[in-house]
This record gives sequence, C-alpha cells and structure tokens, in this order.
Amino acid sequence: MGNLIWHEYARYVSLTATSYTIWAAFFGLFFRKYFFDFVGGIVRSPGGIQPSPSASFIVAIIVKAPVVQILSMLLGFVLLALEIPAPFLKNTAIQRSFIVKIMLLLVQFVFAILYYQGTNGAIYSLVAVCCYTRAMMLGEIPKEAKDNRGRGGKA
Amino acid sequence: MGESWFHREILSPRRLIFNVLFYGLQIFFFAYGWHSQATNQKLAALNALTWSVWTSRGAGLALAFNGGLILLPMLRNIIRVIRPRLAWLFPADENIWFHRQVAYSMAFWSMVHTTAHYVNFYNVERTQVRPEIALDIHYTQAGGITGHFMLFIMVLMYTTAHHKIRNQCFEAFWYTHHLAFFFMIGLYAHATGCFVRDSPDPAYQAQFPFYNTDHCLGYESWRFTIWPGIIYFGERVWREIRARRATRLSKVLVHPSGAMELRIIKPSFKYVAGQWLFIQVPDLSGFQWHPFTITSAPDDPYVSIHIRQVGDWTQALGDRVGAGPSVVAQLTQAAMKGTEKDDSVYGTRGDFVELDTNAASRPLPVVRIDGPYGAPAEDVFKVEVAVLIGAGIGVTPFASILKHIWYQQRKGHLGSLKRVEFFWVCRDAPSFGWFQTLLQEVEAAQADPNFLRINIYLTQKIGEDMLWNIAVNDAGAEYDPLTLLRTRTMFGRPDWKAIYGRMGQAIEMGQYLPGTNAQLKTKVGTYFCGPSVLAKAIKEACVANCSKNVEFSFAKEHF
Repeated sequence: MGNLIWHEYARYVSLTATSYTIWAAFFGLFFRKYFFDFVGGIVRSPGGIQPSPSASFIVAIIVKAPVVQILSMLLGFVLLALEIPAPFLKNTAIQRSFIVKIMLLLVQFVFAILYYQGTNGAIYSLVAVCCYTRAMMLGEIPKEAKDNRGRGGKA
Repeated sequence: MGESWFHREILSPRRLIFNVLFYGLQIFFFAYGWHSQATNQKLAALNALTWSVWTSRGAGLALAFNGGLILLPMLRNIIRVIRPRLAWLFPADENIWFHRQVAYSMAFWSMVHTTAHYVNFYNVERTQVRPEIALDIHYTQAGGITGHFMLFIMVLMYTTAHHKIRNQCFEAFWYTHHLAFFFMIGLYAHATGCFVRDSPDPAYQAQFPFYNTDHCLGYESWRFTIWPGIIYFGERVWREIRARRATRLSKVLVHPSGAMELRIIKPSFKYVAGQWLFIQVPDLSGFQWHPFTITSAPDDPYVSIHIRQVGDWTQALGDRVGAGPSVVAQLTQAAMKGTEKDDSVYGTRGDFVELDTNAASRPLPVVRIDGPYGAPAEDVFKVEVAVLIGAGIGVTPFASILKHIWYQQRKGHLGSLKRVEFFWVCRDAPSFGWFQTLLQEVEAAQADPNFLRINIYLTQKIGEDMLWNIAVNDAGAEYDPLTLLRTRTMFGRPDWKAIYGRMGQAIEMGQYLPGTNAQLKTKVGTYFCGPSVLAKAIKEACVANCSKNVEFSFAKEHF
C-alpha cells in the first residue's frame, strides 16, 4: 500500500550513486587500477597484479592516463546538474526526460565498473536505472518544478 | 524567522552543549583510533601503509561509536520508563531527531572509512605486505563483504527514509528500514575477518569469537556495540508478546464528521493521558503497525482511538468494519466543505452512529495494540495553570487529557491544578466534529465556569456566506453557530504575546486565581501539539512573559 512515486525515489538513488562515483573517480586519479586486471594477470611481489597484455589498451586509458576516471567524473557532474537540478536546466525537456537520465546512468555504470574504486557507484547507478525504468513503465510524469517562490514561512 | 539558521541550529545553549559533546566525542574517537594504530609496534607492517590505515582505523572507531548509538533512541519502552526521571537531562521526545544525527555521522564516517580502505587494499596489493590482491580483501574476506553489504543497505535505508518518500509511501520506508537487522549483523561481524593483525595470515580458531585475539588486534568494539542491538531485539520481541495479549475490539462508532472511534478492551494495557499507541489489524496487514493518539482517559473502561479515513490503510479498515469509505468518505468530504453545518444548525451535531455488529455479515476484526508510548502532558497536575494548545490535528492528545482532567475533577484529585485554558487553533472547524462532541460533554459538565476555559480560533479565510451565517446565527444564540459550544469561536490567528501578557498580569493582581498569595510563585505550564513554527511563537511568548511571580514553562509533543 502507499503510493511510491518511483522517479522521485530514483532521483535520491541516482544522486547517491553519482556523488559516490565522483568521489571514487577523484581517488581513482591517484590510485589508478583497472578493476578486471585479475583476468589473465599475474601477481608480482612487490608490484601487485600485472594485467595481461591483451588488456593493454584499457590499461593505457586507466593507469597510464586516467582518461576513464576523468570522463566518469565529468559525467558525474553532468548527472548532478540534471538531478539537483541546476537552475539553468530546471524544467527543460532534457531535465525532465527519464530516457536521458537512464542512458547517462548506464554510461556512468560502464565507466565506473572499469576502474577499481567505482564498483559500488556502478551498482548503485544500476539500481537507479531500474527505478527510473519502473517509473517509465508506470507512465509517471515529473511534476512541474515550482518557480522560486521561497520557502514557506520565510516571506 | 528572526534569528539565523546558524544561530538556531548551532548556538542555542542546549544545542551548543549537544554539539560540543556529540561531535567532540566523534573527533575524539577518530583521533584515538588514529593514534592507537599509529603507535602500535605490533602493527608496524600495517603502518607501512601510513595515513590511509590510520584514517581507516580512526574512522572505524568513530563508526563503532555511532553503531552503538544508532539503536539507543529507538528503545521506545525504555525511553518511556526513564523519561519522567530524566526529562531534565535530555529531550526524550526528540529521539527520532537524535537517531537522524547519528545516521548523518555514520554516513560521513563510512565515506572516510571506505575511501581509506580502498587506498589500503590498493597498497597492500602493490607492496604485497600480505600475499593477496586488493579484490581478495574486498570480496572474499569477512571485512570486505560485510562492508560492501552494509554500504548497499545504507543506500536503500537512507534513500527511503527521506521525508518525501516517507510521506508518499510509509511502507517503503518501514519495510526497508528493517534491513537494519542485517546491517547490525554485518556491523558485529565486520571485524571477524581479522584484517588488523600482526601476522601475514589471519589467525582463525575454532572457538568463539573464531579469531585469536593475540594476533587479531582490532578494537573488539562489537563487545560494546552489540548490547544496544540485543536490548533492541529483546524489546521488539517483548512488544510482540505484549501485543498478543487478549485484546478485543468492542465497538466501532462513526462520528458525523467521518471519524471512526474504535473502542478496544485490553485489560493488560495501562496508560496515562496524552500517550499514543500502535495498532495492527491482521486482516488488513500482518506487519503494519500504525500510530494513533489515545483519546480515552485512563478511567474509561476501554481504550479508544479516533481514526479519520484519509489513507489507504484507514480506508481499508473502514471497509473492513462496515463503515466503508463510500459511506464515511462522503461524510468526511461533506464535513470538510462545511456543508454539514447547514443541515443541522438547529440541532446538536454530536450524535454518532454505532455500528450494529450483529447485523454486519462479518464479526469485527481482530486488533492488536502496542504501547503506550510517551508524551510530556503527563505533568499537567503539577502546575497551577495548564495551558493546552492544540493546532489542527494536533488537538487529539488533548481529548484524552481533557477527559482525564474531567474525571480527576469529579474525584477531587486535581493536585495543584487550579485552572485550565484550552486553545484550539484550526483552519476548518467542521472537520473535527468528533472533537466538538467531546468538548461539548466536558463543557456541559463544568460546575465552576472559571475552571476550564475553551478558546477556539478559526484561521481560515471566511467567505461571504459564512460571514452572514455567523452574523445571523450568532447574535443572541446560546451556542456558537460553528462549534455548538457555549464558548464563542474567535477568528484569525491568536496573538500569543498579548494572551500570555494578560494572563501574567491577571495572575499577579490576584484576579485570575482567587485566593492565591502574591508571594507564591505561580507555575503556568503550556502543553503544545502542532507545527513547529507555531511552537516557536508560543515559546517566545512564554519566555517573554516570565516574571518573578509567574513562571511560564513550555512543552511540545511529537508524533
């Protein structure tokens, strides 16, 4: 019973997932590691896992240069701007579209799953995707955001 | 809103003490955890990981502290028992607020702890101080598994606990919050992986706690934090046992305004006026407990609650007892619009309909009640003048209190209570028809016209029709046309400063309480239930009008 409005709930999950991912990507800049490097990698002491040569491209964009982390972080800020929403995006078609958010969250999932710190952020993004999908299936429509009328009780 | 947010939330004296103690302790535990790790010679190998391991250990200790605190404010029965004794020490009615503050700290320290561990395990793999890779620690050892599991539970619990979600769908919040059970198990088991050790491999053993404390050098914090968990679990079991004691729904009354009154007989249920209970109707849902204010007085032979059919659960209940939403919703809506007033303006509106249980196709449902739980209005008899202020639906606890005062008055057990001022501030009077019935009874029973004074303020905007209605019906009538009480309804918002100012003056001049000596200090207790904006205005009025002979105190209730 009760009537859960899925897209409003999804927003909170998405905000959590995105904040987590931004923070993870920030640490990913300094402690660079490819999450799936254990596939075919060998452990060297000291030095840790040496990824298999077949992963050299992905290692190049995560470990040699933190491209994925930077992209993930930028995407995170875009998502935050959509979800909060930033004043200039309020009530625009992009901000109100579930599809856009779902796609961006899926991209965030792909980025975040690649580097070591992003795993949880990726999982939470998937949960947010599921909630938004549920909202779409139920045909929910986001409420028109209120104009900036100030808070109740405060002039 | 005169003062700034910062001033109100951080600097008001009690808040300041709380902030210093609470956040001071958090920082102390963090610093102590950091220090004890950094200076431990046995853990030299781990300390090679430097700042990240110190941070994770400090934050871990702060988390253990919060994990021990998080359940304390939820021990409702224990709080109810200790609150009369310790009300001066801490605001026992702010337990949910405290629960939230602990949760916020927990989220913060989880962030610190997890971040530091991600760095730790990265460096463990890189330097191979232990023969394992980072993902082994994350996903194959107890600490990592329980940690990630707890984080995920936290995401679900925190997001569904947002006040917007709670209002939309209380069930989503209620069921998800029971993941706390698994969260707490994760918390107590978090250290069983023996990550903090002086040996390369974990020193497991066959006996409890399954790791050797000579080599596993964690804080063993579960030895302390598990007690609130055990007590809480015990309390939930006790609530379940208590709820299963013989309970019978004896009567269902439907009031014209649409409220259902359930009269429940449960001999083992002892309560005082102003408390509330949880009710469960297994026919509707075997898990859901819904809170309601008790509206009967302890002297009544039954426990009664008034339920308005506004949500799905209450509507389903109405359906089940045969006062279906179609019947009552009509009544409620009519009452909300105020049309009911016109139909019966010449009669009293207090007649209720008792549902005939024999005629109904099904017998009345089984109900279970759990409680009672606290509220500050138990102290009414300790003051000379009690000012009871209810705003909107917040008037419900006063039904019980007024009834209770009435019973005590008949028995002559009023304590030091000399006068009662009752204020009811509401937007649309007609929707509270059932309460008027009760007020009428109480008013009619007053022998001393000065003992109880009822003041009703109607704050809604008045249309032209209503204005005429009042003007015509009010003049010279014995009863007020809106409330059918002898007391006149007042319009607009009450001016609290003036009301308290006048009251203070009257008491000082000896007009208000006949026979009181001016040398004695008169205590005036205010009991308020309603929105916090109003609470603040009234509290300010109380503080502003305190003088050396008259002491105004203020207490607020929560739902």
